[in-house]
Amino acid sequence: MIQAVVALAVIGGILGLILGISNHFLVVEEDERIQVVTKKLPGANCGGCGYPGCAGFANALVDGTATKVSSCVAANAKVKEEIAKYLNETPDLEGNTLKVTV
Amino acid sequence: MNIVSMFIGLTFVNNVVLSKFYAICPLLGVSKQPKNALNMGFAVTFVIFIASIVTWLLYYYVLVPLNIVYMDLITFILVIASLVQFVEMFLKKTSPEIYKAMGVYLPLITTNCAVLGVALDNISANYSLLESAVAGIAVPLGFTIVIYVFALIRERLEIANVPESFKGTPIALITAGIMACAIAGIAGLV
Repeated sequence: MIQAVVALAVIGGILGLILGISNHFLVVEEDERIQVVTKKLPGANCGGCGYPGCAGFANALVDGTATKVSSCVAANAKVKEEIAKYLNETPDLEGNTLKVTV
Repeated sequence: MNIVSMFIGLTFVNNVVLSKFYAICPLLGVSKQPKNALNMGFAVTFVIFIASIVTWLLYYYVLVPLNIVYMDLITFILVIASLVQFVEMFLKKTSPEIYKAMGVYLPLITTNCAVLGVALDNISANYSLLESAVAGIAVPLGFTIVIYVFALIRERLEIANVPESFKGTPIALITAGIMACAIAGIAGLV
């Protein structure tokens, strides 16, 4: 019993370590604004905006396919205002800012 | 056992999809375009090859000495899940198009019964490490051939005059059935 638990924990730990190390080398550089906007969105993943989940909508907002935050039906006015303000004021790596309306 | 006859046996005669009926899910899900089908085949080949070696080593050098062979299933799944995670990270980094085209079927390799099936069959058939490695290439090769041929047939079916009620998945399933009949024709060859 103890042997089984320890063996499984060790195997899992080793595999996790390998994955962690390879993640370090295979990391995909993502626009950090996507993360921020995803966090600000309500996280309902309702699909009401027409994109697959809140992360999909954040992605669309940042790459410019979506320009109206109010496509999101779950967020209240304050949150929408916050997201629009954030996107309009935060430049990307090349220094360009987006034009997003509430 | 003769390695060559074993290889042919596992690739064609006891084909993993058409004779054992493992891995039907990716066969139907990722066979709409031949290119994606081929990529899926390569991803599965990588996972099965590494998994069959690692699980064999784990079974005979960890589970058997510790007398916990009843833990084989959960250990194998742990190995397979990690491998799939690795493939996913690798594809996301190197070719986002393939990553997008495969969609949910990529993480679903974890639950692909062909992968677990090979790992468990290697143990139950008392294969040596070399034989397990051969099985780890032969079985996914059979899978890749079948899914690629199936994708080519489905491409032709798109423009074929199929009765309304058989369009799409029904005719694909019938096609898979006929392919299985063809494989059954060489049963017992090896």
